[in-house]
Amino acid sequence: MSPSALEPTAGSAPATGTGPGVAPQPMMTVRNVERHFEGMRAVDGVSIDILPGRITGLIGPNGAGKSTLLAVLAGTLPASGGTVTFDGTDITEWPAWRRARHGMIRTFQLPSEFAELTVLENLLVAAPNHRGESLRGALLGRRYWIADERREVARARELLARFSLSAKESEYAGSLSGGQKRLIEIMRALMLQPRLLLLDEPMSGVHPSIIGEIARYLEGLRDGGLTILIVEHELHMIERLCNPVIVMAQGKVIGQGSMIELRRQREIVDAYLVG
Amino acid sequence: MSLYLAAFGFGLVSTSVLAIAAVGFTMQFGISNMINLAYGEVMIAAAYASYGLNNAGINIWVSLLGGAVFGSVFSYLINRVLYAPFQKKGTALIGMVIISLAASLMIANVLLPIVGYYSVSYRQNVGPTFHAGSIALTGVQLAIMGLAIVLMLVIHSLLKLTRLGKAMRATSANPTLARNCGIPTRRVIDTAWLITGALCGVAGTVAGMNSDTFAVASGAGFLISIIAAAVLGGAGNPYGAMIGALLIGEVTEISAAAFSPEYKEVAAFAILVLVMVLRPQGLLAKRGTLAAAG
Amino acid sequence: MTYYLTTLGVYAGVDIIACLALNLQFGVSGIVNFSFIVFQAAGAYTAAVLALPPDSQNGGFQHYVFGAQLPFPIPWIAAAVVGGVLSVPVGLVVLRHLRVDYQAIAMLVLSVIANLVITNARPFLNGAAGLSLVPQPLSDRFNAYSPTYLWAYVAVTFVCCALVFFVSQRIVKSPYGRTLRAMREHELAVTALGKNPVVLKMTIFVVGGVIAGLSGAILVGFITIWAPSTWLYPETLILFAAVIVGGRGNNWGALFGAALVPVGFEEATRYLPQFGPPGLVPALQWVAIGLLIIGFLWFRPKGVLPEKPGRFAAATPVVGARLTKEPGVS
Repeated sequence: MSPSALEPTAGSAPATGTGPGVAPQPMMTVRNVERHFEGMRAVDGVSIDILPGRITGLIGPNGAGKSTLLAVLAGTLPASGGTVTFDGTDITEWPAWRRARHGMIRTFQLPSEFAELTVLENLLVAAPNHRGESLRGALLGRRYWIADERREVARARELLARFSLSAKESEYAGSLSGGQKRLIEIMRALMLQPRLLLLDEPMSGVHPSIIGEIARYLEGLRDGGLTILIVEHELHMIERLCNPVIVMAQGKVIGQGSMIELRRQREIVDAYLVG
Repeated sequence: MSLYLAAFGFGLVSTSVLAIAAVGFTMQFGISNMINLAYGEVMIAAAYASYGLNNAGINIWVSLLGGAVFGSVFSYLINRVLYAPFQKKGTALIGMVIISLAASLMIANVLLPIVGYYSVSYRQNVGPTFHAGSIALTGVQLAIMGLAIVLMLVIHSLLKLTRLGKAMRATSANPTLARNCGIPTRRVIDTAWLITGALCGVAGTVAGMNSDTFAVASGAGFLISIIAAAVLGGAGNPYGAMIGALLIGEVTEISAAAFSPEYKEVAAFAILVLVMVLRPQGLLAKRGTLAAAG
Repeated sequence: MTYYLTTLGVYAGVDIIACLALNLQFGVSGIVNFSFIVFQAAGAYTAAVLALPPDSQNGGFQHYVFGAQLPFPIPWIAAAVVGGVLSVPVGLVVLRHLRVDYQAIAMLVLSVIANLVITNARPFLNGAAGLSLVPQPLSDRFNAYSPTYLWAYVAVTFVCCALVFFVSQRIVKSPYGRTLRAMREHELAVTALGKNPVVLKMTIFVVGGVIAGLSGAILVGFITIWAPSTWLYPETLILFAAVIVGGRGNNWGALFGAALVPVGFEEATRYLPQFGPPGLVPALQWVAIGLLIIGFLWFRPKGVLPEKPGRFAAATPVVGARLTKEPGVS
């Protein structure tokens, strides 16, 4: 795979955890995070580590708090308690956009494409540090930002080619299929050269025949050094992609490990896994 | 001091009128997830409907029933003919609020040529004035307060005790889930608009009964206080609306006594701003309405 | 005849400028600014009180603040500045992470209350009677009633139109404009991409406020009067109708909408014989505006001239990219 859009930014931990005695520094540590909402404890004291270079799965029955936890980690929802640390920095109070600027990008369960923008424009919106993106830049006119624009268009087109969507470049994103919209979301995230990707049920709303395709892309990204956290119901995908897997129920973590290990734990099987 | 006590007394009547109105308004928000900006104009239209009956010699309380029926049918039609089709089409909230403002202006401007610009008043026997210290209220005002209490109890019973009420609460909380549970959401919504429309009609008429005069132009002022009360209490929550009505009703009357009657609505506006800045979900937040979570 | 045409010209220009501003706020960025007219009024009042002599003059029948008697173009510049400055507190309170319709009603209520307060605070801006005898720009040097002056005023108005159009185009066609459109489509996704929505909304809101203020100054300089009845809350809806009909997000659409709705409509109905009871025709105008809005939102929500997405030069083959024949994901 051509590395350009996927190069980890300088300073990220390269470890995949292999090698004896090498314990990789977690990219993100979550300690006692809580999220209350009208008397309900959607997230009730969760402590986990997200290891770099891995795809971590987050599974659990409906209402377990997985998506809420992801939203708290991404900054979309404020935590009611606890701390979240990213690369050693306490980001608990940071708003979502600030976390995104530092390389933590989330996607959404429901389609979140910019419907009335073209596919190419969707990706271009994500471009970071674009001179034309401020009011001042806009007023200074095309000549001021055209170089940045050309560079970002090239990057975006490269991504589109990689994900085989070049032909759709000028179509409105709203007219694409569920699977294609999902890919746009992922490509948008990649435009930002993220260090951590938080995917909220990426397979939902996607035709079963292309779930495998998306899984392949995610594996490729992981092999390129990207760290991913997936909330998913599709257990086959979790099994294929994720190690470790974290299981939640009723706002708490009830197990962690590989799927094989988890299947051996009776409580977890009872709580959730069927077959 | 006696001035403020008197204002407090008037505030109770304002609260009563506002409570009837705000509960209807907030329930419309709850059931249809949209802000019905035409509510104030429907109130005025119903007030005029009552006036039509009243002017023909019918007793004001019977005319009030006429106003309630008018408000009920009119509100049902507005939802069925205008709001619901747009929502079914998938119109976003941005579009719905523009449509409801357009509807409000259309209603006002259809009403104007029919009823004229001049203010009118009801023919009613306001009854004797009762005094309690500095508080002085007429028989009609006390009756309005009584009516408000009765209607609040009726709504409470409806929501908590009847199957329809439960269906309405379920549809408010999660329409898709309600439909999947077999609740006939379209009928529930229609019924909700009939009921809240009746509240709207009653509110309009009693507002007219409580004022010396009223005119088409009064609609905007009503709407502001109603919005403030509903938002303060937590949009979509009828009990919140009752509390909001009490606070707004009293604050507006007392500030009118303290400063100037012309600035009554300014107090309501100030409270609205404070709520939006400090606690947009209101005092008794309904799940998932205006909470900051996207 | 001259007076009629020049009045029409100035109104058209002012409406175009106002629609361009609202298009930036609402059409491009999705801010339902139901208080737009307040900012135009703020500009008009500012320009008026800076151009007027102290209120003791002219027989002292008006009461207002300032009365600085400053020469053109200071009142106009100040008006634009005030429009922008006023946008800041309003924006900070309203444009937070709240439901869009919630933001809209807050601004609607602001519009009603602002009008109420100005009407009742008599010494501030002369209350319900409003300001009159506002000196026209450069009227101490030229005869403000001569046809030359009137046509020059129209010309200046259209120069301002062109300037505002130029600025609007720069904004809409830039990456900043693209991000605003994305924010309109899905604000949460835009935050997930590292953009701060508050900054985005505030900047465009203030820009709109500046332009709105300017439009007010231009108008008051010509018609020389300004009262609360000029800027009642429904006036904003006419501008919304224009932007929706013309084409939301498209500056040419805003132009077209301004020509069609506030201008064309007014002019068309001017020639209708007054029928029915007095006030029937204006009332029907409002009904027609409402029907226009509802009709377009139902049948053609994008408007007559829809928003155009950005166009990019054709792709040149990128070295190293994986090339496939057709999309792998359908």
